[in-house]
Amino acid sequence: MTLSTPLRETAAIPSVGADVAIALDHVEKHFEDKQGNPIPVIRDITLDIREHEFISIVGPSGCGKSTMFNIIANLLEPSAGSITLRGSHPIRGAHIGYMLQRDLLFPWRTILENVALGLEVAGVPRARRLAMSREHLERYNLADFADAYPHTLSGGMRQRVALIRTLITDPDVILLDEPFSALDYQTRLVLEEEILSILKSFDKTVVLITHDIGEAIAMSDRVAVMTQRPTSVKRLYEVGLSRRLGSCLKARSDPRYQTLFDQIWADLDIQMGGPAS
Amino acid sequence: MSTASLYTRRIEVSADETKPRKHQDHHLWKENLWRLAIVAVLIVAWQFAVDFGWVNAFLMGSPGGIAIEAWRQLQSGQLLSDTWTTLYATIVGFLLGSIGGSMAGLLLWYSRHVARIIDPFVVALNGLPKISLAPMIIIWFGSGMLSKVALAFIATFIVALLSAYQGTHQIDANLVNLMRSLGATKRQIFLKVVVPATLPWIISAFRLNIGFALIAEIGGEFIASDKGLGRSIFVAGNLFNLNAVWVGVLTLMLVAIALYLVVSRIERHLLPWESR
Repeated sequence: MTLSTPLRETAAIPSVGADVAIALDHVEKHFEDKQGNPIPVIRDITLDIREHEFISIVGPSGCGKSTMFNIIANLLEPSAGSITLRGSHPIRGAHIGYMLQRDLLFPWRTILENVALGLEVAGVPRARRLAMSREHLERYNLADFADAYPHTLSGGMRQRVALIRTLITDPDVILLDEPFSALDYQTRLVLEEEILSILKSFDKTVVLITHDIGEAIAMSDRVAVMTQRPTSVKRLYEVGLSRRLGSCLKARSDPRYQTLFDQIWADLDIQMGGPAS
Repeated sequence: MSTASLYTRRIEVSADETKPRKHQDHHLWKENLWRLAIVAVLIVAWQFAVDFGWVNAFLMGSPGGIAIEAWRQLQSGQLLSDTWTTLYATIVGFLLGSIGGSMAGLLLWYSRHVARIIDPFVVALNGLPKISLAPMIIIWFGSGMLSKVALAFIATFIVALLSAYQGTHQIDANLVNLMRSLGATKRQIFLKVVVPATLPWIISAFRLNIGFALIAEIGGEFIASDKGLGRSIFVAGNLFNLNAVWVGVLTLMLVAIALYLVVSRIERHLLPWESR
C-alpha cells in the first residue's frame, strides 16, 4: 500500500506518540444475504491507530464505515484478520467509548444521572459517582443543567453531555461516528472546537468516522480515506492543522486546508465516478 | 372534571412560566363553565319533557326521580356499600392483573425463545372476550368478591403483558449497545434500559385496563353476585326501576373518572421526563 504524505513537515506532531493504540491487521468483514451468499463489506483494512492521536476515517457514503465502527467498537467480530489493543491485548477486553450522531442520552434520566451512567454500570457507589459527574459538568460549564431532562437541552448541549458521559469512564479509545451531522452548521463549528478541546484535555486516542471532509481536516492529526465498498484504506494524510494552530477555525482558514480538501475530494470523486462494485 | 381537562392539566405542568399558565387556567375555567351549562340544559330539558308528558318517565327515568333515589340509597348506606364492593374488586383485580402482566411482559425480554413459544397462546387469549369466562370463573370462585377479582385480573393481565412485551421491542438498539460498550450485564441492561424505556407502554396499558377491569367486574356482577353496583343496576333493570339504574350508571361513571385521575397522577409521577 502506498501512502501519500502531502504535508511531510507535519509528520512530527507534538504529543502524538508513535505507540500504536489499536492495530487493525488485514481486517475483513462480510455479511450473508438470504441465500447465504457472502456480501463483502470490508475487503481488507490494515491501519495503525496511534496512541493519543485524533484520526478521521472519511469515505463515500455506504462504503462500510459503520461496519468498521462496529468492529472497532467491539459490537461486531471481523470475518478475518485481527484487531489488537496496545500490541498484545485482544480488542475484546478493551473499553471503547463512543458517541454517535444521536446523543443516546436516556430520556428518563437527568443530565447528571446520564453522565453517571457508565460509573453506575461499573459499580461506583452512588454518592461518589454523582459527585464525580457533577465535577465534570462544572468543568465544562454544564452544571446548571445537572437536574434537567435531556429533552429540554439543545442538540449541541446534548452532544456535549454525551461526550462527557463517554469520557468520565476513562475509555482506552473514543470513537465518534458522525457526531455532528444532526446539527446546524454554526453549532457544528462551535461544537467541533469545543469537543476537540475537551478531548485534548483528556489526551485521548480518538477515531472520528465522518463523510464531512472539512470536519475531518479541521479536527484531525491524520485522515484515512476509504475506497468504496468493499472498502479498504485508499490513502492516509498527515494533517495536524488544529493541533499546531490551536483551533479548528484556524485550521479551516489555513491555505493547506483547501489543498487537502481538494486532494481528498479528488480521492473520493474518482471512486464516485468509477464503476460501482 | 373530565378526561379532556386532564389533558390540559398535563400541558400546564410542563409550562415553566406563569403567564401561559394563567392564561390556560382562564381557559379551563371557561371550558368548564360551558360543560356545566350543557349538563344543566340537558337535565332541565329532560325534567321538562317528563313533566309535560313528552317522555315516559317509567321507561327513561327522570332527573328528579334519580335525585330522590340517589338520596334514598345514600341514606340507607346501600350506595356506598355497593360502590365500595365494586371499587374494591375492580382495583384489586386491576392491580394484580396490570402489574403481574407488565412484569411477565418485561421478563419475556429475557428469553426470545420462550416469548416465541408462548406467542400464539397470548394472541389467542387476547382475542378472547374475557367475559365469556365469567360463568366458569363463578363456578370456581363463587358468587362473592373473589370471582370478580379473578375476572378483572384475567381481563387486564393479557393486555398488560402484550403491551409491556411490545414495549420491549421498541427499545432503541443503540441504547442497549451503549450499555454493552460500558460493560453492562444483561441484568443491568434490563433494569436500566428495558424497564424505564417500557414504562410509557405499561402506563398506557394501565389506562386501557381501567375500562377492561370495570367491564369484567360489572359483567361478573350481572351474572352472579350479592353486592355491588353491577348487581344494583341489574336488579333495578329487571324491576323497571330506571331511576335506580341511572343512579348505578352515574356512580360507575364517577368511579371510572376517579380511577383515570389516579392513573394520570401516577403517570406524572413515574414519567417526569414525558412532559413534552
